[in-house]
Amino acid sequence: MSDENKSCGNAANAEPTVTRSAAPMWIIVLTLGLLFFGGLYLDSHGGWFDAKVYAPYHSGEQLESFQPKSGAAMAAAQGKRVYEAVCGICHGVDGLGKPGQAPPLAGSEWVTTKGINRLVHIPLQGLSGTLVVEGKEWNLNMAAMGVALSDSDLAAVLTYMRVSWGNKAGEVTADDVKKIRDALGGHPQPANSEQLKAMPE
Amino acid sequence: MKTGGTVFLAAFVALGASWFGLVRGPLHQLGGAQQTVILQSTDNWPPQRTGEATLGLQVYRKYGCAACHTEQVRQTGMANELALTSLGTQKAADFKDFLKSLMVVPALMNDSNTILGKLAGWNGSVPMTLYSGDDSTVVSTLADKLKPVGVKTEALVVARGADLARGWGVRQSVAADYLYDEPVQLGSLRAGPDLTLIGVRHPDADWQLQHLYAPRSQVPDSTMPAFRFLFEVRKKVAGQSAPGALVWKPEFAPAADLEVVPTLEARQLVAYLASLKANAPLYEAPFTPVTAAK
Repeated sequence: MSDENKSCGNAANAEPTVTRSAAPMWIIVLTLGLLFFGGLYLDSHGGWFDAKVYAPYHSGEQLESFQPKSGAAMAAAQGKRVYEAVCGICHGVDGLGKPGQAPPLAGSEWVTTKGINRLVHIPLQGLSGTLVVEGKEWNLNMAAMGVALSDSDLAAVLTYMRVSWGNKAGEVTADDVKKIRDALGGHPQPANSEQLKAMPE
Repeated sequence: MKTGGTVFLAAFVALGASWFGLVRGPLHQLGGAQQTVILQSTDNWPPQRTGEATLGLQVYRKYGCAACHTEQVRQTGMANELALTSLGTQKAADFKDFLKSLMVVPALMNDSNTILGKLAGWNGSVPMTLYSGDDSTVVSTLADKLKPVGVKTEALVVARGADLARGWGVRQSVAADYLYDEPVQLGSLRAGPDLTLIGVRHPDADWQLQHLYAPRSQVPDSTMPAFRFLFEVRKKVAGQSAPGALVWKPEFAPAADLEVVPTLEARQLVAYLASLKANAPLYEAPFTPVTAAK
């Protein structure tokens, strides 16, 4: 190219040529400064490219601190889950019971008791013999279904029964369940309705 | 051109970097996405659509619904809240004094002004928000201190944002929500409302069908065009309406001997709309679900 330019002999019309020149110092400093700032910003807002971290959260720890830990709504969701997996198979997911299989829980005087003592004993001990529910006599056996459940699961599912399908009664806490479970000891025998009635509500 | 190689290399690096950042990186992050578990539940999210709703997505796409509707809800903030739900046997004045005495607890000191500030004009009514902010330890500490004296509280995680305030969503949209959308109908213009939660906001299929045929029969101010070609207007057979024919308010009803019957496409589209209900709390988008007061 330079040979061509010479042959033209006209410097004003010469093609511009590319030469190497040093970048100004301020551009280098500015670039490094921007990189440093970008690094800081990425560190505090990037969440380390975790696919679970979305804005407005900016780190995994922050997201973790916003996970709902407890609360009535969460307990209800937990209770519903346990109910549908364990109790609902016989008592029905609608709490209406199944003829010849299990009495209803919706509106049952055994579920909506004032206290929780009798109710917690039923899944922990099991039931045998006749039991009158809503004026109808049932003669069935129930295994101690609650023994295998954790305190919080059993408390959540009993609370769910007490506030669902039109039932309006107080909640059962994991502490209540733990107390009664400890008092019952190792291998409790199934209760009958007289024994239950003898207990305080 | 002496520098051809350098220019090629620079262009390759520039394009390669953007390909890496916009294509390869996200693919690595989310390409293997699978159903996730809904918080405190064993159910999976998102649920698989029914066949009818899956076909409805193609109808949604075909008629360009995404030109005016979005399916993405944004969230600008979040808070850990402690709501006071019952004072038990305590009187409001005693409770205020008790709360003041708690402010020496190290975890609460920094927020004492905001917590006590809320009590200044409070007349004892519940529920009342005691604390709303970033710090989950304030919530747990306060709840632990109030429990032994018989005061009932509930810890809530609240999602905030203009879209959420409009009722268009209960949390922000996350990648998991679109797992079964092919292609994803995000949309970018909101001439109409966001449809992320439309299956919860208007679960009634008849509402949707009437709204498609005559939008202003359901929403007086609607600017949506009527999609009449998704319906068949025909003469009643022997004076009897066909099953599935729309039932109208008198002012929108067609002539007495005519009926409006949705076509297959209309039914599929409505099934798809009914499947849009991003209301489950997820790990990446946590919130405490609000259940109706019992």
